[in-house]
Amino acid sequence: MNENDLSYDILKEIFNIGVGKAASMLSEIVGKKIILDIPNIIIVESEEQNKDIGKHFSALPQGALMVSSIKFEEKITGEANLLFPANKMRSFINLCIDQPEYMGCDDLNFTDMDFDIIREVGNIILNSIVGELGNTFQVSLKYTLPEVKLFNADKFKRNLKSQEDLCILLLFISFIIEDVKIEGAVIINLTLDSLNELMEMTKKMEDDLNG
Amino acid sequence: MKMLIVDDSRFTQLTTSKLLETYIEDLDIAFAKDGEEGFNKYKELKPDYVFVDLLMPNISGQELIRLIKDYDRNSKIFVISADVQKNVREEIESLGIIEFINKPFTGEKAKSVAELIRGDTHE
Repeated sequence: MNENDLSYDILKEIFNIGVGKAASMLSEIVGKKIILDIPNIIIVESEEQNKDIGKHFSALPQGALMVSSIKFEEKITGEANLLFPANKMRSFINLCIDQPEYMGCDDLNFTDMDFDIIREVGNIILNSIVGELGNTFQVSLKYTLPEVKLFNADKFKRNLKSQEDLCILLLFISFIIEDVKIEGAVIINLTLDSLNELMEMTKKMEDDLNG
Repeated sequence: MKMLIVDDSRFTQLTTSKLLETYIEDLDIAFAKDGEEGFNKYKELKPDYVFVDLLMPNISGQELIRLIKDYDRNSKIFVISADVQKNVREEIESLGIIEFINKPFTGEKAKSVAELIRGDTHE
């Protein structure tokens, strides 16, 4: 599958719809407009490409990242991650709990409640995107409990690279929460089997479209 | 009116209760952090309405609904979940809940729940 294939376009559009719905939910939570970038689909088919994976994430926030993740399995298996720069998390949390965003902006000491808020918001956003994939292809997905971790941006990229068996198809989008200029990104990685499964399902959609 | 909110997120417990209290008067709200605690509190408190998340540790929301329904088939349950999958919604709705609501729980959704409860109590 390459960028000129209709299958690629179908997959990108489904991802796009999920992201659109997730952005709407995020906008409801923080009470701000969300500006979305163009989604990317990256397929890593060789070890060589795996080494270069970092270059695809130029829009990834730099420095320490707060990463909220859920894993999913069944017919499609993988992991979805919502990334924010850690130094903007206080503003983000304040938006979520309807507090003035400037309150305690420099505070990087996160409480259990802060992590809970980030985990829950990540859960809502990521479920929306992954669930849309499931709905479109009419497959059931089982989720693990969401997790939140602090990462250095480089370490996160290395972590993606190290999952060689998993890191086969990456759906990537960056976005900005307007007014407060908080950048974020969503990265979904899928297994090889899931990639093949998705290829088959999108091919079927393509055949249906072509009559 | 007694309510029980079962959710492993303290943030969601608090926002849900705050929004419900905005639209429904005289609420006595209890919390549980997973299905196991939720079932124990249900038996202990006999709440008028229960709000259940689906993805929780120990006993999931789906199992909790089954347990509550087996214990009390007249129980009144709302589901508040991040899961947007249609087949999950259909499966959960078949368990006899009042309504499946997608997170985030907002003022608009709380208002709709309040109307459903008012309609239910006036029946």
